[in-house]
Amino acid sequence: MTALIRNPLTIVWALLTTVTIVSSLIALDGGAAHQINTTVTTAVLLIAAVKAQLVISHFMEVRRAPVWLKATTSGWVIVLFALLLGFYFAGL
Amino acid sequence: MTDVAEGSATDVDRSQRAAGARGHVPGDSSMWFFVIGDLLIFGVYFVGYMYFRGQHHELFLKSQARLNLDIGAINTVMLLTSSLFVVLGTEAARAGNRAAALQRFWIALAFGAAFPLLKMFEWIPEISAGVTPGKNLFFMYYYVMTGMHLCHVALGLVIMCFILRNLKTSKAPKISFVETGATYWHMVDVLWLVLFALLYLMR
Repeated sequence: MTALIRNPLTIVWALLTTVTIVSSLIALDGGAAHQINTTVTTAVLLIAAVKAQLVISHFMEVRRAPVWLKATTSGWVIVLFALLLGFYFAGL
Repeated sequence: MTDVAEGSATDVDRSQRAAGARGHVPGDSSMWFFVIGDLLIFGVYFVGYMYFRGQHHELFLKSQARLNLDIGAINTVMLLTSSLFVVLGTEAARAGNRAAALQRFWIALAFGAAFPLLKMFEWIPEISAGVTPGKNLFFMYYYVMTGMHLCHVALGLVIMCFILRNLKTSKAPKISFVETGATYWHMVDVLWLVLFALLYLMR
């Protein structure tokens, strides 16, 4: 049990869970009025990008994968979130 | 603690060495082509959602207010926890510790199975209140994207049952099969993380 708690993967999970709660609180706090809020949106989208990258690197074990796989998956995260933020701000 | 059968030693050894070495592709590479393809397809949906959102801000914001953020957040934690036990189970299987691998995959399956159950607690009250895919553009995206995702969850749960069977009954558990299934399950997790931010959190 102690070994499980000390496992780096469990630490990654704790981090992912914490930021999930934090981003929900950000949405509740800053976005309860359901009005456009660029700060909330930028924060929750950036947090989601970091979470996706953490799952890909640590849970999917891409951190130990060949460069082409690291580049493709991280490229997906970067391009996707750049487009999402770009379209969000362009649509304001 | 059950050790893997002797006959499987080579497979386990090979996988252990590979996992320790740099440049190991976890599982079958054809699964990775599927995963990347799926990420791209969902990516198009995500960007399409954002484009239409830009044209109908008021509608999207008002519709979002009807979603159950609590269930969305709890479901995110369910999938993250399930993914954690999948990767821990994969590590145990690789180390040849079949008992621990089985235990962890059972836990992963339980957390994973909670996702569709909670989704029903979300969908049923919404649909009963007349909030259906035809209501507006936001709910069309909401039901199509979460529905497609739910199909992925269902398939992932079936794959996990096959992993459990492989670990339980096979004389020589195939580590590459475990890794392939695990890769798919984590992709389901990644897609949900984006959906959660787009549908429930952003303003």
